[in-house]
Amino acid sequence: MILEDYLRQHACRTPDRTALVIGSKSFTYRELDELVSEAVDSLSGLKRRFLCFKAAPSVDFFASYFACHRLGVAAVPVSKEMPEVHLAEISAMLESCSIPPRTADILFTTGTTGKSKGVMVSSRAIVADASNLVSAHGFSQDTVFVINGPLNHIGSLSKIFPVIMCGATMIIVDGLKDLNVFFEAFNYPSSKMATFLVPSSIRIILQFAEEKLASLASKMDFIETGAAAISVADMETLCRILPDTRLFNTYASTETGIICTYDFNEGGCVAGCLGRPMKNSDFFITPEGLVACTGDTLMTGYAGDPEKTSAILRNGVLYTSDSGVKDEKGQLHLKGRSDDVINVGGFKVDPLEVENAAMGFEGLADCLCVPVPDSLTGNAVKLIVVMSEGRTLDKRSLALYLRGRLEPYKVPMRYELAESIRRTFNGKPDRKSYVG
Amino acid sequence: MKEKIRTILEDALPLVDLDSEFLLGELDSLGVATILLKLSEGFSIKLESSDATPRNLKNLDSLAAMVEAKLASKR
Repeated sequence: MILEDYLRQHACRTPDRTALVIGSKSFTYRELDELVSEAVDSLSGLKRRFLCFKAAPSVDFFASYFACHRLGVAAVPVSKEMPEVHLAEISAMLESCSIPPRTADILFTTGTTGKSKGVMVSSRAIVADASNLVSAHGFSQDTVFVINGPLNHIGSLSKIFPVIMCGATMIIVDGLKDLNVFFEAFNYPSSKMATFLVPSSIRIILQFAEEKLASLASKMDFIETGAAAISVADMETLCRILPDTRLFNTYASTETGIICTYDFNEGGCVAGCLGRPMKNSDFFITPEGLVACTGDTLMTGYAGDPEKTSAILRNGVLYTSDSGVKDEKGQLHLKGRSDDVINVGGFKVDPLEVENAAMGFEGLADCLCVPVPDSLTGNAVKLIVVMSEGRTLDKRSLALYLRGRLEPYKVPMRYELAESIRRTFNGKPDRKSYVG
Repeated sequence: MKEKIRTILEDALPLVDLDSEFLLGELDSLGVATILLKLSEGFSIKLESSDATPRNLKNLDSLAAMVEAKLASKR
């Protein structure tokens, strides 16, 4: 079965149950299934094996997403803020590469060579992710899940899967810009509310709306976090204000799918602990100390890039760049990353991509992109800039220039003017000397 | 007051046009949180999510008015 078979099943068995709430509009399973059928009709003439579309929080997104899967066309949801030039590049790249049958999604994620990579996810992996979350987090038909993050990001997109598998309800909120709107979503009449929040969103909520979150204690069934490290202090605060809520820290990535999870309200607030593997997944630690994953949730490969695929995916094992250890209970503990990718509140930023974009800025002679600690996002992106002789740095102009070429979360918020960039003996930028 | 706010925010949010008459439209969730955090720190006041209204985040003048009101309520 593919995920959309579950959607059809619920449309037949519980047609009037609410599937989706967006703003003031709600859609039953029957209505959602009909909208998907209409989208299937309108897309049936599609000649390509993929469809790129912006992941805006709208019912059209859901209709297109599910319709692609029903048609056997790969859904390529991209950031709603992605510059058009990047969208065109992605389409052109996918036109020229072979997409294996049963590829359900192609999700673009930060690569380590300056270009985003298209992660191909099969319909089987989506069902395995759904099944992992249903059994590990206890999703049921009564669950009402508030999705507040970008729908092209695995953290939020993957929550659609267990909701549809169980015939549960999802409420879509367009980010946390207005926390009052986020909290209004929890006025929904249910005592089985749940949500996913990246650690930076938890930090923001605890900083500015801790009492409001505490007031939801009786109806919050569970909160899941992941994608970046959450501080022990924030874990402890969550446990204190939500004593009966299950609080999960999950290990997942676009490439691996959803692998491990840990309820820190039950097992204790342990930094970096991500628990045991879920039912369709497993992991081991390589001799180099890196996390390697197996199971049905793994990606199929990078679209059009067999070389990069085989660099990390071999014989059914996906080798990550995450350093970790396995404890005596079989639980995963993350220790950091072995590469230069910067994690900004759960979003991965490749410093090379930022540097390559910045080098086109007039008057800029050299630059280096590094992480700096940030009280809200854990890390922020900083660009150290060397200007050509006689040129001055206009931070705002450079930031706006980069905004036209990069997704917003990749644009550095901090800038530092330097005389030169330190280099190692072989001429490479000496990143380590700039990082904490 | 207004210039002090400008200085604080210029450094923290280089992408934002601080002369905008609809500042909230320029911000994402992190931008809103950054403004609340930086103004809380910069003026030793307590700002909460309920302060992040379109009225308070309209422009630099409205931010200054919000900070002034918070400071007055402390006295």
